[in-house]
Amino acid sequence: MSNSTKLDIQNLNAWFCEKHALKNVNVKIPDKEVVAVIGPSGCGKSTFVRCINRMHELIPGAKASGKALLDGVDVYGGMDVMDVRRKIGMVFQKPNPFPNMSVADNVVAGLKLVGTHSKKELAEIAEERLKSVGLWEEIKDELKKSGASLSGGQQQRLCIARALAMNPEVILMDEPTSALDPASTAKLEELVKKLKNEISVVIITHNVSQAARISDMTAFFYLGELVEFDETRNIFEHPKNPLTERYITGRFG
Amino acid sequence: MPRRNSRFFNLQDSVFKYLLIGVSAFVVLLFITLFYMLIDRSFPSISINGLSTLTGTVWNSAAGIFGAVPAIAGTLFSAVIATLFAIPISLGVAIYFTEYAPSRIKSVLSLFIDLLAAIPSVIYGIWGLWVISPLIKIYVQQPIVGAIGFIPIFAGPAYGLSIFLASMILTIMVIPIISSLSIELLGGTPPSLREGLISLGATKWETVRHVGIPFARLGIFSAIILGLGRALGETMAVTMVIGNSYLWPFETSSLFAPATTITSKIASELYEATSTLHIASLIELALILLVITLLINTVARLIINRTIKRGYY
Ligand SMILES: Nc1ncnc2c1ncn2[C@@H]1O[C@H](COP(=O)(O)OP(=O)(O)O)[C@@H](O)[C@H]1O
Ligand SMILES: [Mg+2]
Repeated sequence: MSNSTKLDIQNLNAWFCEKHALKNVNVKIPDKEVVAVIGPSGCGKSTFVRCINRMHELIPGAKASGKALLDGVDVYGGMDVMDVRRKIGMVFQKPNPFPNMSVADNVVAGLKLVGTHSKKELAEIAEERLKSVGLWEEIKDELKKSGASLSGGQQQRLCIARALAMNPEVILMDEPTSALDPASTAKLEELVKKLKNEISVVIITHNVSQAARISDMTAFFYLGELVEFDETRNIFEHPKNPLTERYITGRFG
Repeated sequence: MPRRNSRFFNLQDSVFKYLLIGVSAFVVLLFITLFYMLIDRSFPSISINGLSTLTGTVWNSAAGIFGAVPAIAGTLFSAVIATLFAIPISLGVAIYFTEYAPSRIKSVLSLFIDLLAAIPSVIYGIWGLWVISPLIKIYVQQPIVGAIGFIPIFAGPAYGLSIFLASMILTIMVIPIISSLSIELLGGTPPSLREGLISLGATKWETVRHVGIPFARLGIFSAIILGLGRALGETMAVTMVIGNSYLWPFETSSLFAPATTITSKIASELYEATSTLHIASLIELALILLVITLLINTVARLIINRTIKRGYY
């Protein structure tokens, strides 16, 4: 069932000063599928995804080693770091639209930096992306309002639209629904399932049933190590590692 | 839970409240007294000279002529120029500090900014007079006069002591104010917004430009106004380096000519003034300076309030 590999992560290690937060992680993220990352809090899920788009190194004292091959090219060395982040988009736990920009400007904030699009193109891209996250009908009359004036769920979809506007090949989501109400969460889950027609999605969730609902593959992390990585069905029906079984059945963390 | 003696706490609370009201009233009273004193003491000048203080360009105490325009012009010009020069430098320092500087350089830099702010202005004056003045004269003023001296504002002769030098010294005095506040403000950029833009492939500079500065802009604007206020009110250093001449900007418009400001006019004449009118005119100068400062602060407040109302902060 697995497609070709989009991201091949090899011997990934990460540190916060002396703390070894990620230990020798090897994982192949398939193309155009949803990979869920689960594990108890503090096990290194965020660190893992932040190493993929090189956000980890922004933290003072943080280091990473290993390889992350995007279509065979190492994001550590083979590519310009700005390029890495344009190709691998990110959505954060707390919605973070830019309050000083309008809704429409939020969507194209990244494209404006590149500066290769006309105003008309930018407006078209904004509309297209707001449509693909299902926000257009809701807010098409409020495009001039501040991005921060939307509801939490709308803000998070705006942030996804903002990441998608860069035409990324992979999108990383760090617990994108943890700050949302159930209705917004359901909408976002639908969106994630739709996104995999276009790109690979890596989504962290602290909600095991969410992982079961939306992902094709699941990675279970514990204490900085990747304990098990398999098709979601296998993880939930026949986990190989007893730790995985204990976690998904809710017996710890 | 131990029973609290509520009567005691009520009493304590109201005593505290009246104390606070008292302190606030005292501040207001102080300001009113000060304002009244300035009006009262300058009254002879206001009633005799009338509007000619605000329009006159000649100051001749022997003849009883007291026009304030050159002093007002010198004050506004030197303060505005100093602030304009200080803005890019201070923002540059603040951006370097918050985005680029390694932590060891940060501590050295913030120490020096604090030191610059703590230096008494008479020391800036001495330094300007003895060190900067000859340097600026030889390496800045004379070459410019030689090259484009036919343009009136750059006309010679190049006096060391000049409105130009005063503006430069004021710039140096304003930089620590704007930069230390801007460092605080830019450092307060919410990390989630920074990371949001960085995750879209933004460079550090783009992050400051599109997130840090917009987020801090009202604060930075206030810092600039604070710096401008400092430059408008500075006395000692300016008096020492401006050359105290009433010829600028009407007899000569050259930046390299000596000039005067409201503060240096007052500082250099108040102790020698003997006639009532002369003293009153100097005090009226002080009143004018206070009004200018109040106007600037009020306009700044209005701008800030309007921006906050628009919702993009
Ligand atoms: N900024 C940081 N500085 C130091 N240690 C950190 C920092 N962020 C995370 N850590 C540590 O790294 C480990 C992994 O954290 P994280 O990746 O955030 O876990 P998760 O996302 O799975 O909850 C934790 O033990 C955490 O304490
Ligand atoms: Mg996390």
